[in-house]
Amino acid sequence: MAHRKIRPSHELLDHKSEVQLRVRAASLPGLLAEAGRALAEVQLRDTPRPCPSPWRTIEVHSRDRASLLADWLNELVFLAETERWFGMEFEVTQADECSLRARARGVVLEVAPGVVKAATLHGLKVEAVPGGLQGEVTLDV
Amino acid sequence: MTSESSYAVHVLSPVLREVPATARADMRVPVRIYADDELWSQISQDRSLTQAINVATLPGVTGFVYAMPDAHEGYGFPVGGVAATREPDGVISPGGVGYDINCGVRLLASDLSLESVRPRLEAVVHDLSRSIPSGPGRNPRLDLGVDGLDQVLREGCRFMLGHGWALPEDLESTEASGSLPAADPAMVSDKAKQRGHGQLGTIGSGNHFVEVQVVDEVFNPAAAAAYGLHPGQLAILIHTGSRGLGHQVCTDYVRRMDQVMLQYGIQLPDRQLACAPLTSPEGRAYFGAMCAAANFAWSNRQAITLSARAVFARAFGQAGGLRLVYDVAHNIAKLEQHGGVTLCVHRKGATRAFGPTHSETPERYRSVGQPVFIPGSMGTASYVLAGTDAALALSFGSSCHGAGRVMSRGEAKRARSGAEVRRELESRGIIVRCPSSGELAEEAPTAYKDVERVVDVVHRAGLARRVVRLRPVGVVKG
Repeated sequence: MAHRKIRPSHELLDHKSEVQLRVRAASLPGLLAEAGRALAEVQLRDTPRPCPSPWRTIEVHSRDRASLLADWLNELVFLAETERWFGMEFEVTQADECSLRARARGVVLEVAPGVVKAATLHGLKVEAVPGGLQGEVTLDV
Repeated sequence: MTSESSYAVHVLSPVLREVPATARADMRVPVRIYADDELWSQISQDRSLTQAINVATLPGVTGFVYAMPDAHEGYGFPVGGVAATREPDGVISPGGVGYDINCGVRLLASDLSLESVRPRLEAVVHDLSRSIPSGPGRNPRLDLGVDGLDQVLREGCRFMLGHGWALPEDLESTEASGSLPAADPAMVSDKAKQRGHGQLGTIGSGNHFVEVQVVDEVFNPAAAAAYGLHPGQLAILIHTGSRGLGHQVCTDYVRRMDQVMLQYGIQLPDRQLACAPLTSPEGRAYFGAMCAAANFAWSNRQAITLSARAVFARAFGQAGGLRLVYDVAHNIAKLEQHGGVTLCVHRKGATRAFGPTHSETPERYRSVGQPVFIPGSMGTASYVLAGTDAALALSFGSSCHGAGRVMSRGEAKRARSGAEVRRELESRGIIVRCPSSGELAEEAPTAYKDVERVVDVVHRAGLARRVVRLRPVGVVKG
C-alpha cells in the first residue's frame, strides 16, 4: 500500500539536560531543510526576526546519512557562533548519503537567546518511516 | 532496550549502590552510584544508569565506573560520571569530557562583609554584568589575534601571568597551575580557533554564571581557616569553561574518532562514546587539543577574575581585593597516578577532590585537602568542601559538580515562567541580571535536585568533607 508523503515537521522532545530534535519529511533534502528550521527555532526562540539576508550556499560532506544530519547542524552552529548568522530558510538542492548542498538565508543577530553548542551523535539516526524519513539528534545546549 | 529498573542493583551502604559487571554482557567493570534512596529514585528515572553501564564497556576501563550523587542523563557519558582507563591499552573518549572542556568553578574571596557593602551591592552586580560579557557575547578587550590565542592554548594561565593578567598566587591556587603541559595548539582546528576568537573573559550561556555570595555557615573551622573563609564574608563564584573553542574541539574529535573506531576494533552501544586508544594518533591528537582547550578555559576564568577585580576596585578601592581560593575543573580527562599506575581519568560533570597528602594539592591546603566547589542551582546555596585521601580509592579522587538537573528544560519552562523565577529570587533579596527570561525559567531552582542532599551524600560517603555553605546575593546569568 502506498503511503502518503510526509509533510516536513519537527518536534522538540524532552531531555533531562539537552534538547532532542525529531524531524520528519518525505525526502532526505526535505529532512535536512526541516532540521535547519528546527535548529533556528531552538536558537532564535521568539526573537523578532528582521528580513532574511541574501541566499548563501553551504556544502557539507560526511560519512553516512545520519552523520550528515549532525554535520549539517554543526555547520550551522559554527556559522551562528562565528558570523552571528542564523539560518531561517533552507533549500537543500542536492543530498545523498554522504553530502549535501543547500541554499540558505537567515539573519545576522548580535544576540540570540538559544545558544547551541553542538549536535551530538547520541541517539543519532535517520530511518525510513512510512511516507518518508525520520531523523533524531540530540543538541547540547 | 532494558529499563533502568531491570538491572540488578546491589545496595552496599545507605549512600552507595553497585551494578555488577555481570548485569550486561558487554560490561567490563561494575558501576557504582553514590546516592541515598531519594537521589537514587531520581537517578533511576532517567537514562543515567544505562549511560553509566555503556561507559563500563569502554576498552581499557578499570576499577569501577562511578556516578556521583548529582548524576543525570546526558549524552554518551551521564553527567556526574567518572571513568578511568589504563595506559597504554585504554581509550580516551571526547564524549567522556563533553563539549564544554574544562568547564569548572573558581571561588574568589574578599575581605568585605555583606553588611558593609549592601548599599552598593546592586550597583556592583550591575557593573559585573556590564563588565563580563554573557550569552554569545565576545570580549573585545582581550582579543589576542591568532598568535596570542595559540599562546593561550599552549601556556594557559602562565600566559595570563606574563601579561600581568594574573598574580603568581592565582596560579598556585589553580588546578595544574592553569596550564597543562601536554597542550598542543596545532591539534586545535582553525574552526575551533575561530569560535574561540574574542571569547576570553566571557561567561557563555546555559547554567554558567558569576555569582556574588556570602559565607553563610562554617562546618569545618580548620578547613575554612585554611581557605581564608569566615561567616559573613563576601565572595565571588565563577562557573564557565572553554566556550565555543572547546565545543568545536569536542565536535571535531567525536567525529574523527567515530570514523576510526572500527579500525581499532572498537564497537560501542552509543556513538557519542566514540573513542580511540590513548596511544593512537587520534588519541594523542585529542589529548593535545583537549589540554589546549583546558588551558583556554582556565585563562577564561582568569580573565573574568581580572574583570571582577576591576569592578570591586572601582566600587571599594583598596578594600575590594579578591583573592583566588581555588579553581577546579569538572569536565576533563587527566593522566593521573592511581596505585602506582597511570590512568586516564575522565570526569564529566565531576570535580577532582584530592586530599591532604596528594602531591597535586596546593602546599597551602596540605593540612586539609583541595577545595571542592559544589554550586547549587541558581538562588540556592553552594558549598565548599575539602577533598579527602580516601576519595582516591572511592572514586579516583572525584566528587560531584553541582546539584544536578531533575527536570528537563521544557518541564522547567512549563512549570514556571522566567518572570516568576525572577520575582521569587528578588523577593529573597537576590539581585538578578539575566538577559533572557527563558534561560531563567530553564535554570529555576525547582529544575534541580536538592543540593543539601547531594552534598550530604558526598560528605557521608567520604568523597569530600563539608567546609562552608555559601548563599547567593547577586546572580549574573550567562
